[in-house]
Amino acid sequence: MDSHLGPDPALMASVGEFFASSFSPAVVPAGEDPAGAQFAPRWDSTAQLGLPLVAIPEEAGGSGGSLQDLLAVLVAMGSHAVPLPLAETSLAAWLLTSSGLEIGQGPATVVPGDARDSLTLSDGYLAGSVHDVPWARSAALVVALVSDRSGRDLVVSFDPSAGSLTPGTDLAGQPRDTVELTHVSATAAAPAGVGASQLFWRGGLLRAAQMAGAIGAVDQITRRYTRERVQFGKPIAAFQAVQQHVVAIAQAAEMSAMAVWAAGRAAAIRNGTFEACAAKTLANESARTAVRSAHQAHGAIGMTQEYPLHRYTRRLTAWRQEYGTEAQLTVGLGAAVAAAASFARAISDHDNGIEVPCPA
Amino acid sequence: MSLAPTELTDAELELQRDVRAFLDQRLPAGSYPLGLGMPGHSDPQFSRDLGARGWLGMAISEKYGGGGRTAVERLIVVEELLARGAPVGYHWVADRQSGPSIERYGSEEQKREYLPKICRGELSFAIGMSEPDSGSDLASLRSRAEPVTDGWRINGTKIWTSGAADATHILGLFRTSEHKHAGLTQFIIACDAPGLTISPIPFIDGTRHFCEVAFDDVVISDAQRLGEVGDGWRQNTSELVLERGGVDRWMSLFPVIEKWAPRAPGLGSAALADLGLMSVRFWGLRGLCLAIARLVDAGESPVIEAAMVKEMATRFEQDSVEMVARHLGRAPDLISEDPYESLLARAVLVSPSWSIRGGTNEILRTIIAKGLR
Repeated sequence: MDSHLGPDPALMASVGEFFASSFSPAVVPAGEDPAGAQFAPRWDSTAQLGLPLVAIPEEAGGSGGSLQDLLAVLVAMGSHAVPLPLAETSLAAWLLTSSGLEIGQGPATVVPGDARDSLTLSDGYLAGSVHDVPWARSAALVVALVSDRSGRDLVVSFDPSAGSLTPGTDLAGQPRDTVELTHVSATAAAPAGVGASQLFWRGGLLRAAQMAGAIGAVDQITRRYTRERVQFGKPIAAFQAVQQHVVAIAQAAEMSAMAVWAAGRAAAIRNGTFEACAAKTLANESARTAVRSAHQAHGAIGMTQEYPLHRYTRRLTAWRQEYGTEAQLTVGLGAAVAAAASFARAISDHDNGIEVPCPA
Repeated sequence: MSLAPTELTDAELELQRDVRAFLDQRLPAGSYPLGLGMPGHSDPQFSRDLGARGWLGMAISEKYGGGGRTAVERLIVVEELLARGAPVGYHWVADRQSGPSIERYGSEEQKREYLPKICRGELSFAIGMSEPDSGSDLASLRSRAEPVTDGWRINGTKIWTSGAADATHILGLFRTSEHKHAGLTQFIIACDAPGLTISPIPFIDGTRHFCEVAFDDVVISDAQRLGEVGDGWRQNTSELVLERGGVDRWMSLFPVIEKWAPRAPGLGSAALADLGLMSVRFWGLRGLCLAIARLVDAGESPVIEAAMVKEMATRFEQDSVEMVARHLGRAPDLISEDPYESLLARAVLVSPSWSIRGGTNEILRTIIAKGLR
């Protein structure tokens, strides 16, 4: 009776197998430019399986499937450090289809929204700049929310190659670019079917899924390493001081995964902003614990790019800062819980009715 | 990932509504002494009232007076009780673990004798495990049960036994041979047995539920042995899922938080951040505890998962005390007229015990690490 709440095990297994063989450390060398020559063939092989458009209805050109299916793909992606904009493309397609617009071909991304952004739409033309846009240089389409003169939210999209792009990277070496548009024709524009808050929480939930996957990988790698590494004549896993780190990471993996599935279930049947906020906050907190403990348990080898731990810990460190830091998320959530009728029921009610506004 | 997400069914939600409605009426705010989680006040009448509703021994079979219900249904009842700081002390241990242990390992005669009374809230159990020289290294315990004609003679001392002063029975672990683990056996001993002396040890907050239990030639019949001779360690270990995987490991401060949460906005953004963080942690733990209860109902024994949750939950529970206390602006008063303030004061004092009772966090981490290999 509970199987529908969690991920589909067969989907998790088959996607995991594909990612494991296609994006192993042997296939994706450390230090390689993820937007380089290998990007297009990797994207094509993944897109052929329909993975970027899971949970987008088939009649809208997507692959179909549920939100839990999408989260399963992203958890698997996180656990194999897949160097592709799957979450970004999925979010872009969701934003477009929710607003009655057609999804394009190829990789896409969404402007996360930044105090420095100045994008405006006027008579069908876009002008201004957008910052820290993940994978913009590899995307065929960038999707953004802008307000028109009357303050109404519009969904717009544009081809990033029509603007001037300043490359940047996140802590994991993945593209995170600034795009300046002077007078660029919008590929599409329509009244937004979802607001900035819904976009933010969905983005946060997708990131939380990637993070739960990466924390799971950190858990596995650390368990294996501490069993194999011998010091003082025995595996370091035999030392209680090391075991404490292994346990902390395993707990982080359980907690972050549980939160993602619960939030996915909530988001499928209601707004689920409380749960999405909780899942991202717990992902952030779990990531902090896992990154710290995994590096401590590994010692020097974990600090090198020759050993795979960095593939996960760098991403986790980057993703913690996106779609809400702990400081931003906990204050907003605290205010929402304080205004609720009961703290205890906020915890024990499956639908506690609490809506958390997205951080300003 | 081993714990699967789950949520309440319609029937379970109905139970939740029933429990809330009953407690709103039976325990109006201010009508009862607030408790700090599982060692809540001992109120035999309240325990009997719960029993009359069918909310004690819920997972025990109907044949023995139980509800024939599930671990999830028990969780639903228990979380409502703990959220209110209800006086659960009298029945807590019997309902959580002694009853289920007796049903699992007891003789037919024992089940008929004890279970109906546990389910009616008439019996109060304490657990006799630690000894002066055996805390975390429980298998080194030395209190001894020696065979005599038709029974056993018990000598030794149990210590740091919660609730023994109010208990009717002690379910204790005793040495019956020199084999380290296989030399241990569980017995059920009535607290009025001749030769048994229970002496409260004042707890750090001045309460008197912590006890020393001395056995001086206490003679019991063989019918009071629970399970086979030498199976005590194994039986004791299997109880630990019930003891460690529950919501009682993180809900102690809930009555205080319930009162404090609406005031957090007036205390500034640091207080809101603390409230937000404790909310998401408890929400996450609740999901994990519910998943464990479903596994128990499916006949599994997720000992490692339960230990993982308890280790994490007790740390978060201690953090929640720190988070609430640091926004008070002064030290809380143990004898404040505001019952929530005095409860917070007690929590500040006793919260270090939360990561000790039921297995220290250090021991739990060792157990978990072994289980993860």
